[in-house]
Amino acid sequence: MRYSFFRGCFIPVRLPHVEKVAATVLPELGVDLSPVEGFTCCPEPIGFTVNHPLTGLVVSARNIALAEEQGRDIITLCNGCTYTLKQANETLKADSELRGRVNEVLAETGHLFRGTLEVRHFAQVLMDQVGLQRVRCKVEKPLSGLRVASHTGCHILSPHEVMGFDDPQAPVKLDAMMEVLGATPLDYAYKTQCCGWTLSNYGDRNAASRLLGDKLTAMHAAGADSVSVICPQCLAQLDTGQMLAARALQLGFRLPALFYLQYLALAMGYSLEDAGYDKHRVRDPGFEEKLRRILA
Amino acid sequence: MVLNVPYTHRGLKGVREAAEVCLKCGVCCAVPEYGCPAHYGPSYNPRYTYVYDCLGHEEPHTNPSIWQCVSCHKCEEMCPYEVSPVHFIEAMKERAMEAGVSPESIIGELQQVVDTGYAFPLTANAERQRQELGLEPLKATEELRRIAEATGLLGLLGRTRK
Repeated sequence: MRYSFFRGCFIPVRLPHVEKVAATVLPELGVDLSPVEGFTCCPEPIGFTVNHPLTGLVVSARNIALAEEQGRDIITLCNGCTYTLKQANETLKADSELRGRVNEVLAETGHLFRGTLEVRHFAQVLMDQVGLQRVRCKVEKPLSGLRVASHTGCHILSPHEVMGFDDPQAPVKLDAMMEVLGATPLDYAYKTQCCGWTLSNYGDRNAASRLLGDKLTAMHAAGADSVSVICPQCLAQLDTGQMLAARALQLGFRLPALFYLQYLALAMGYSLEDAGYDKHRVRDPGFEEKLRRILA
Repeated sequence: MVLNVPYTHRGLKGVREAAEVCLKCGVCCAVPEYGCPAHYGPSYNPRYTYVYDCLGHEEPHTNPSIWQCVSCHKCEEMCPYEVSPVHFIEAMKERAMEAGVSPESIIGELQQVVDTGYAFPLTANAERQRQELGLEPLKATEELRRIAEATGLLGLLGRTRK
């Protein structure tokens, strides 16, 4: 399986350790990542596309066209990128009039959107193309006993008719993905509530902190050792955002948040350092100690 | 409830009709565990919900509350009357852009993407971190400027930034 590797911009710029871990573990599962020269921001849905939809659509079409020129489906590491590119891809495939308008603008850059490929989030690739059985075969150090609160995030779930990943009101796939690594998935209140990253950055930082405080408190009450996410903005919010919320709300606990691929790396035998945990703002000695016992 | 401002928009069929059906029931914001996250914002409560604030404003595209919307689609999934406030609010953000009244943070992000191809600034710190991890350096592209010029966004940004 070879994919056009769409890194997005938040990961390469703000969380390069996630790009590193993806480039390390995905090929071991037979998912080869082909770099594509010239990929840009997807563009970011709430800050960009919503405000000037035509430009947003053309920029997405350009990214898809670049992958089409390589003849490979797109794999992303981000809910936001998937949300933007998948919606653009589906819309442009279905609406020939709009496709014509978009291609007219796109011709300025010498590219053409044809509508010949699919856009997939890495979690979709692991679930549907690789299969959890094959993931299980790669687990050398099962994360037995690690209690993990999964946060799937909003933009891979909704709108469901386009994203088609999981039930927006009762998601189960990320839990299944954690379970295959040997971890114990948890139910908790606020499971489908937003992480608050977008609210924090475009709306109201204090409101986002209160939201995150409620969510983290529910995870903690369910007995979570840590959090699992599949979106870089969710990771930033549950990590750096948690640090800020904990300070403002005097939270008496710390819940390290890791990207799913970091857990996968740990289960495949890599160390916390290899997985880039040292780059995180919220680290917890209790979690580290428990993980050391599990991985020993 | 009837919208204060008649609303029509190219390409978004049914948005106005749907918004006018809102009965102010507050279901979209009633349950903090899985309802509208913007409901955590300044002053909303079940009697005067965030969504009602957006739908009922006299000039919705100038209402600062629209920028609290994170496009998570929870209101759309929960609404018993299929109002889909998210589509209305997104259309208002587009109208704000056309009217030149979008917040500076939005204008800045649009400009940043058009100028460099990235939504987040390519800092020296990012480059250093990438180098330490053995990842290749990031390259900015100006190809998007040509797109933004053709769609009229570049002109719009120029006028708004003055």
